[in-house]
Amino acid sequence: MLKMILLIFLFVNYAHADKPYVDDKLLNKITKKYKLFAKKRFLSLQNILDINKNSQDTEKLEAVNDFFNEVRYSSDIKLYKKNDYWATPWEFLGKDKGDCEDYVISKYFALLYLGMDSKKLFFTYVRSTKFKAPHMVLTYFKTPRSEPLILDNNNRKIFPASKRKDLLPIYNFNGDSLYKASKTGTGKKLKQIKSHKKWDELKFNMKRKKI
Amino acid sequence: MTLFKQIALLLSLFLLIILATVLALNFKSANKSVQERLYEDAKNTASSLSLSLGSANGDISMMSTMINANFDSGTYSYISLKDIDDALVYERRSESTIADVPEWFLDIVNIEAPFASAQVSAGWNPIGILYVQSDDTYAYNQLYTILKDLLISFSILAASGLIILNLLLHTILKPLKRVQLQAEALIRNEFITQDKIPYTKEFKDVVIGMNSMVSKVKTMFDKGNEELKKQKELDYIDQTTKLKNRKYLVHKLPEYLKIDASSKGGINMMIAFSGVVEANTKLGHQNVDKLFVEMANIFKAYASNYKNSIVARMNGTEFIILLPDCSDIDGLELAHGIHDSVKNIFTEYGLDTKKTFISIGLYEYNYMQRIGELLSLTDYALAQAKFSSENIHLDKADEVLEVMGKEAWRKTINKALELNRFSFTSWTAIDIKKKKIAHNVLSISMKSDDDIVYSYGQFMAPANQAGLSSAIYSNIINSMFKIPDMRLAGSTSSLRLSYEYLDQRDTYDELFSLFKEYASKLPFKLIIEVPDKLMRQNSKQIKLYKALFEKYNIEMGVFEFIGESQDYQYLQDLRPVYIQGESSYFLSLSEQSLSALRLITDTLDISLIAGGVMDMQTLGKLKEKDITIIQGKATEMVEL
Repeated sequence: MLKMILLIFLFVNYAHADKPYVDDKLLNKITKKYKLFAKKRFLSLQNILDINKNSQDTEKLEAVNDFFNEVRYSSDIKLYKKNDYWATPWEFLGKDKGDCEDYVISKYFALLYLGMDSKKLFFTYVRSTKFKAPHMVLTYFKTPRSEPLILDNNNRKIFPASKRKDLLPIYNFNGDSLYKASKTGTGKKLKQIKSHKKWDELKFNMKRKKI
Repeated sequence: MTLFKQIALLLSLFLLIILATVLALNFKSANKSVQERLYEDAKNTASSLSLSLGSANGDISMMSTMINANFDSGTYSYISLKDIDDALVYERRSESTIADVPEWFLDIVNIEAPFASAQVSAGWNPIGILYVQSDDTYAYNQLYTILKDLLISFSILAASGLIILNLLLHTILKPLKRVQLQAEALIRNEFITQDKIPYTKEFKDVVIGMNSMVSKVKTMFDKGNEELKKQKELDYIDQTTKLKNRKYLVHKLPEYLKIDASSKGGINMMIAFSGVVEANTKLGHQNVDKLFVEMANIFKAYASNYKNSIVARMNGTEFIILLPDCSDIDGLELAHGIHDSVKNIFTEYGLDTKKTFISIGLYEYNYMQRIGELLSLTDYALAQAKFSSENIHLDKADEVLEVMGKEAWRKTINKALELNRFSFTSWTAIDIKKKKIAHNVLSISMKSDDDIVYSYGQFMAPANQAGLSSAIYSNIINSMFKIPDMRLAGSTSSLRLSYEYLDQRDTYDELFSLFKEYASKLPFKLIIEVPDKLMRQNSKQIKLYKALFEKYNIEMGVFEFIGESQDYQYLQDLRPVYIQGESSYFLSLSEQSLSALRLITDTLDISLIAGGVMDMQTLGKLKEKDITIIQGKATEMVEL
């Protein structure tokens, strides 16, 4: 009986380990839409993710941050004809362009793929004192009360928050945590499972595999 | 259930289901929208308050104050702040007070105000999660108002919808109603042509079909009517003088020689023309015919003073003038007048009045005599006249032997009226083809003080003389309705009413009030027989009777029919169930006359009944003429 449970556990782990960040079916669609170079970018990402599958959090952060910071910056109005749009990781890497939210989203989901606890990651609304403009970065908290590490697309290197005097934190947000909080916060079973408008929209787009 | 009701019911049900569904969906959608609104409000508050809380840099007292300020100023049922370890830092909770919403509404509608949450940060670090829930009181009130508004508007919609539906159906099915009325009229043998042809194809076809059928039946009727009128001219009219002929007299005499005849007797005058050969030689046929016409005019002029008189040409040289209620003295005076007038004309025509003259035989008849007897006795009086110096002779009938004297009859009848001693006896009209009773024929009998039962034939003549016949009819018809004879239950029975009774001013009102109260309780189907004399007038009065009888489901029959009407339209208008005539009348009808009569009666579904069928030989002859319903002694000989 024990052997059987062990075998099932191993099989589940093996199956999960082999599951790619982007499955073949989706990859084919991406290739069809964004051509061969896009496919190569996704394969390259998969390679980096595979390499760092068992790495420490800091190594995972470095690898993911470096990979996505290679993508060129472009405003939503240029790319999507919208003032503000949160692109799915497939749209972001497919187009190989995006704005600050798109970097944060893609980094967040790649890190989750690598097995990082979602509670450690936050979408942080900041003000860039250098550019005098609103901005968004991904923040990593080793523990809830520790100083966060900032994953930024403007400053490509990861620094602790205290080293980023050019950024003024405004608001932290973690969709997955809020969703869980909404579900369990009052002990009542809720019909409504919305937590954040933009986040809900993004989750919907990801569910329908928007590329 | 009528087609209209079925469609109306179905469409109404359909409409109500649709409205109810739309109402339910509307309410559901309103419910969803109100709940979403609750969430949006909570979410907006959570986002803005979390940003404000961030500026407190983790100061709990500051954050509590901010939460209090928000909670008190808005409509929230719950706001709480939990730290990053999910431990409660601060919370505010209020109990909902549901105003202006009934209990049942709270039971039916379950509003669950959603929780909205937002992260609270101090600088770079998240310090907790803020939970906000809006107050559902507002939502309940809002929804209840929406429900009320929806119910009012949908009730108005449903009511207007049903009214419009009703009007539409009435408009659409209006032609059908007319089709139905036309069909019902056809069943009653009324020939209505519908001028308005419906637009709907199916109705249109039916109406055109029925119109065509009605038109064909009408044509058949008109053809029969015309033919019968033509035959009547040939059968009953003398073509030279336009006087009635012998056949007419013979058919008409039973009306005068019957127990309940309106006249008890009078003078029957037979006039014979002598010297016709000399006249023809001297004047020629054409002038002699003119002479006959002038003579006929003299006869008609003298007879015109007597109601119901008949002037008929019996053959080439003989005429009869029947003068009901004419005394012997008046008759003789009239005969002399005619004799002198005719003599003057003969003189005018240059005829020798010694060779060319008229003889007049007068016979004072009474209602008890038979036709043959009357004619032969008048003929005998004429023979006497021919040999008398004045060429006028009067003979009288023997005195009638009465059971009792006039006064004794009057007393007996009055007593019987007073004590309601009139009752019915019945015989049958038999359908010899179907070998069954067609209907019962009711006859009135009277019981005297000394328990002697008098038949209709015995008491009706003295009752007529005493002017009590209408009182008897009134008495018997009242008894029939008020104390119906249960032996007749389930049967069809006919009652003959006299011309005099029906013609009375009060009869209609009497029958009307009687029918109104008792007709529905009558246990048998009643046919009231009306004399053809009254029917063929087709007057307003008879139409009133028809309408009255029809209203109370009483049929109408015709008796004493000899086909002497100028027009048979009255049969179509009054639609009797049968026409009863004497067997002698039917037997004397020519093939053409009978088939014309048949055309009319078959078109209108009227039966022909031959009365006074006394033997099997007559019955056989009637059968040959396809007259299969009979009355009279022969009915006893028919095996059913």
